[in-house]
Amino acid sequence: MSAPRVAVIQFPGVNCEAETVRALGRAGLAGEVFRWTRPARELGGYQAYVLPGGFSWQDRVRAGALAAKDALMETLAGEAGARGKPVLGICNGAQVLVEAGLVPGGDGVALALATNRMGGRSGYFARWIHVRVERSACVFTRDLPEGTVLPLPVAHGEGRFTSGSRGRMAALLDAGQVPLRYADAGGGIATTFPEDPNGSELGAAAVCNAAGNVLGMMPHPERAFELGQLSRCIPGEWAVRRERASETGTAAGEPGPGLLLFDGLRHHLEGA
Amino acid sequence: MSGRAGLREVQAWIRLRADDPAAVSALTVARRSLAAGRGLESLRRFRLFELRGKLPARAELEDLLHRSSQFYNPHKEECVVREGPGEPAPVQPDERIVLVFDRGGERRAAAERWWAHVTGEPIEVREGVVWALRFAPGVDAAAAAADLAVLRGQAHGLLCNPHAQEHRLSGAEVALPWLTPDPAPERGSAS
Repeated sequence: MSAPRVAVIQFPGVNCEAETVRALGRAGLAGEVFRWTRPARELGGYQAYVLPGGFSWQDRVRAGALAAKDALMETLAGEAGARGKPVLGICNGAQVLVEAGLVPGGDGVALALATNRMGGRSGYFARWIHVRVERSACVFTRDLPEGTVLPLPVAHGEGRFTSGSRGRMAALLDAGQVPLRYADAGGGIATTFPEDPNGSELGAAAVCNAAGNVLGMMPHPERAFELGQLSRCIPGEWAVRRERASETGTAAGEPGPGLLLFDGLRHHLEGA
Repeated sequence: MSGRAGLREVQAWIRLRADDPAAVSALTVARRSLAAGRGLESLRRFRLFELRGKLPARAELEDLLHRSSQFYNPHKEECVVREGPGEPAPVQPDERIVLVFDRGGERRAAAERWWAHVTGEPIEVREGVVWALRFAPGVDAAAAAADLAVLRGQAHGLLCNPHAQEHRLSGAEVALPWLTPDPAPERGSAS
C-alpha cells in the first residue's frame, strides 16, 4: 500500500517546507511541496495538508492575512469541511488558518494570533518551550495521553491566541478545541513569560476546529522530529532519551517529540 | 491639539518613497478576492506616529524624528509632520482613511526612551498603520471602506482583525489626536 499523500502548501515567503516534508517522510507519509501557483483543483488529489511556517507574503498587512484570501484556501476549506481531510497549520500556517476562519471554524473569523506580550520586551521571540496535551478529539494529538509533556521550539512575533469575545477561549478549552497548552517541564500550565512565550490566553499553544481535523499550532514539531534536533537546555524525560542516543551515536535517527503529531496524522489516515 | 497646559500632540505621517509592497499586495488581494474591493482604484499605506508631551517647535521636532531610527529611515521613507487639526493630512480629498493599531499595543516604549534620553522630556509615542483608499466614481466609498476595514470572514474585510486590533474610519479631514486617547482631566478642572 502506498503512503498517504500530504500536500505541504508553499505560499511565497514560507521557509519551513523542506523540513516539514522530511518530518512527514519519517512518519511514513508522502509529503510533497505544493506551490501556490498550481491550480487549486489539484489539491483534491491529496489525503491531508500542511501549511508550514515562515512569512507568507512577507507578513504584509498582518501575518497570514493575505495568504488567507488565496483561492487555495477556499479549496482547502472545502476539502477540510465537506470531506473532513486533516489540515495542520504550523506557526505562519496557523496564522493563515486563523485569518481564514478555519480555526476554530464556525461562522467567520473568531480569533486572532496577535502580537506577543512578553512583559517588558517586544518583537520576535525564539525558544524551546514545553506543551501539555489536553483532552481533545484533534486527530494530531488524540493518540497521546492527556498530560503528556512535549518539548518543542517556538519562533514568532505574533503567536498570542486571543479573541475579542470574552469567554471564547475558555469555551474552546471546554469543548476540547485547545489540544496543546504551554507548560513548565513538569506539566503545570504556564502562566508567565517565558514558559508562556507570547501571553496567549489560557496558555493556548494550539487550537483546532470542532471536528478536530484542522489544527493551528504555534510551536514547530517539524524542528523536533528527531532526538538530535533537541536543544541541550531541555530537562526531563526527552533530555535523558537524547543523552542516551547521543552516547550511542544514534540521536540523529531516533524519533523526537515532534514526530508524535505526524504519527497521529498517519494513524488517522490509515484508519480512514 | 492640547490636553493639559503645556502639553501638545503632533502626528508624523511616514510613507515609503518607492512603491509600497504591502499596499500593492493588499490592493491586489482586495480587488481579486473581496466584493468591496472590486471598485478600489488605489491603496496607500502610512505609518502614523502620535507624540504627546512638551514638544519642541516644528524644526527641532522634525530634526529629532529624522535623527532616530525609532521613527523612520530618511533614506527610504519621508515624513510629514502635522501640528494641529487645521493642517491637512497628506491624503487626497477623495480618499477614505482607515487607521489600524494593536489593541493595547500602540505605545512605543523604545521611542519614548530614546526621546527622553536625548531631550530630557518624557513624552508618549503611539504608532498605528493608516490605509488611504480611493474608489471608482459611483462606489459608496464610505461603505466599501468600512467593509474592507474589518476582517469578518473569507469574503469580507482585510485591514483589521477585530479580535486583536482597533480601527478608526475617516474622510480626508483626519482628527488630531486620532490615536492618542483624551488626556485625563486635570485635578479640579470642570468636566
